[in-house]
Amino acid sequence: MVAASGDTAALDRDVRLAVYRRIIDEGLPPTAPELAGPLDVDAAAIEASLHRLEDAHMLSLAPGTSYVWMAFPFSAIPTPFEVRVGDRRYFGNCIWDALGIPVCLDGDATIDSYCPDCSEPLRLEIRGRSLLPAEGVIHFAVPAARWWEDIGAT
Amino acid sequence: MLLFRSEEHVTAWSEQRGATPGATLTLEQGWRLARAWFHDRLSPEWRRKTPEETEEVFAGTGLTGPFWRLT
Repeated sequence: MVAASGDTAALDRDVRLAVYRRIIDEGLPPTAPELAGPLDVDAAAIEASLHRLEDAHMLSLAPGTSYVWMAFPFSAIPTPFEVRVGDRRYFGNCIWDALGIPVCLDGDATIDSYCPDCSEPLRLEIRGRSLLPAEGVIHFAVPAARWWEDIGAT
Repeated sequence: MLLFRSEEHVTAWSEQRGATPGATLTLEQGWRLARAWFHDRLSPEWRRKTPEETEEVFAGTGLTGPFWRLT
């Protein structure tokens, strides 16, 4: 088991992949104790790994905690970017991330959101790795260099 | 990053908030950007892109200029 060897890069890789696997399978990320057993390390090592991954901007934790909030493109909390892939339901952190979910899963998807200006429901559909024609535009309010100043608001 | 009905709705929403609109992409641009950005995210070898690599992804989607500059 890589974790026991003290190889933090390998542990961080395994933790990152385990977080994604749980989200994909169950819709929510795991807690540190839930990962500790399968990865053969204690929960403190998992928490330290999660914080390293956050420092590297590979995921984001709920403020002041070791709980996964955003494992890009997936959100651990409901958002106005609902993504249905088969019989599974996920949430993107933003519309870019919502489009990223069918890319990650390489599947057809239906994305439901709404216009922040008029609250009109908007739907995007991905079929056969293509985006079907639809109404809408995507707006980035914050310049790229400032995204990580407040990633939740970005 | 939000989905709006149209550019006009972006303008109205921004004015209501006293903000200057940022950058607006077509849906097709957004889809191309998502594909370029996330296609390898679940790979064990995935690593975060450098600022230079990120700018290349942006440029490949037609996103250039100060708004997209990281270097």
